[in-house]
Amino acid sequence: MQRMIPVDRLARPDEIVLVPVERIREARIDQGLLPNNVMPLEEDFLKGRLHGIATGEMQAMEAAGRTLFDFPDAPWEFQLDMARQVWDESRHAEIFAKLLEYVGSYFGEFPESEILWSCTQVDDPACRAAGINRGLEGLACDVFEQIIRMGQKMGNPIIERAVDYVLADEITHVRMGSKWMRKLTEGDPERLRRAQEFQDNIDALFNFDGFRTSKEDAPQVPLVLGRAQVDFDATLTISRETRLLAGFTDEEIDRLMKAAARSSAY
Amino acid sequence: MPELGDRSRAIGPQPIGERSIPPPAMLAAADRILDLLVQRSCAALNALVVEKAAAELEALIDAIPPVTYASHKIIAHAKANDHYYVKARLFGESTEPFTVQLRLGARDGQWLIWEAVNLTGGRTAWTCQG
Repeated sequence: MQRMIPVDRLARPDEIVLVPVERIREARIDQGLLPNNVMPLEEDFLKGRLHGIATGEMQAMEAAGRTLFDFPDAPWEFQLDMARQVWDESRHAEIFAKLLEYVGSYFGEFPESEILWSCTQVDDPACRAAGINRGLEGLACDVFEQIIRMGQKMGNPIIERAVDYVLADEITHVRMGSKWMRKLTEGDPERLRRAQEFQDNIDALFNFDGFRTSKEDAPQVPLVLGRAQVDFDATLTISRETRLLAGFTDEEIDRLMKAAARSSAY
Repeated sequence: MPELGDRSRAIGPQPIGERSIPPPAMLAAADRILDLLVQRSCAALNALVVEKAAAELEALIDAIPPVTYASHKIIAHAKANDHYYVKARLFGESTEPFTVQLRLGARDGQWLIWEAVNLTGGRTAWTCQG
């Protein structure tokens, strides 16, 4: 089997529309929307956000599986952690598939972005651990914390609890990423620097041009979510508490917050 | 996911939202555009494309082998706010199917092409063997 599956070769059944992220952004700009992601206030926000996560879980499962396969010489314990992650992500994909059904959506209703898979395009397990487990799963911690709060505001325990179960796993994935980023680069500061740089690039990719704030700073806007109408965040929030639980340092979180604030100045 | 039957007769949480249905006018426009692609009808297609996608559409038409395809089938569509991606296959008797992906969006009541991509020979449902 081929190692390092390129982005345009990631297998998908015919009924799925998989689109490069640049094209998804272009489609949004063509319609006068913000380029980055489905935002609160958009008609399809809840369905679109859950769909984005569901496809992200699927690609995260595939990515962990490919990391296991692509690096057969990596330490056995690393491989065991990746195998464990495949198992976790497959459960997450199933949970989000059920949540999609719950909100009246389904896999394939919206285009799937190639963005998560593009983060696997690096031939070093330390970079994968940094980029995927710390960068992307760190982002997942923020996104999930926000959805849990949204579920609470909607008075909807199904969404709140389902996503809370998933968040508990994501926290362990970030911790796993931190452990392996350090272990695999022990005694090789240059390799550690490359891994951190790879993660920084991924963090920047998901900076959302200033539409990220702390939850305390998020402007509140009225939203219709399912059958509930609530006031909720207009931005994608960064969750300090969840990131601390996942093992990010205050300094790392401050850096992320500053980068988000810097983007909003442009 | 497996079909779980009539939800209203099931115990447990019921869906809080309805499935949305793609606009019939969009699907009709997609069928018409795909017919025109089968016929490689450049003039008619040029009237159905926004300016920014004209070159992409031209490249797509150029890539379709002439006088080969006779029919088409829409194999997927996906909603991107008010636009829709439509993935389709063109079929002919003595040739391999040709796969295209269009993005359609309405302007002044008319569904137009905003993106046109040739997916032939691209990804499949199977990870490539090597």
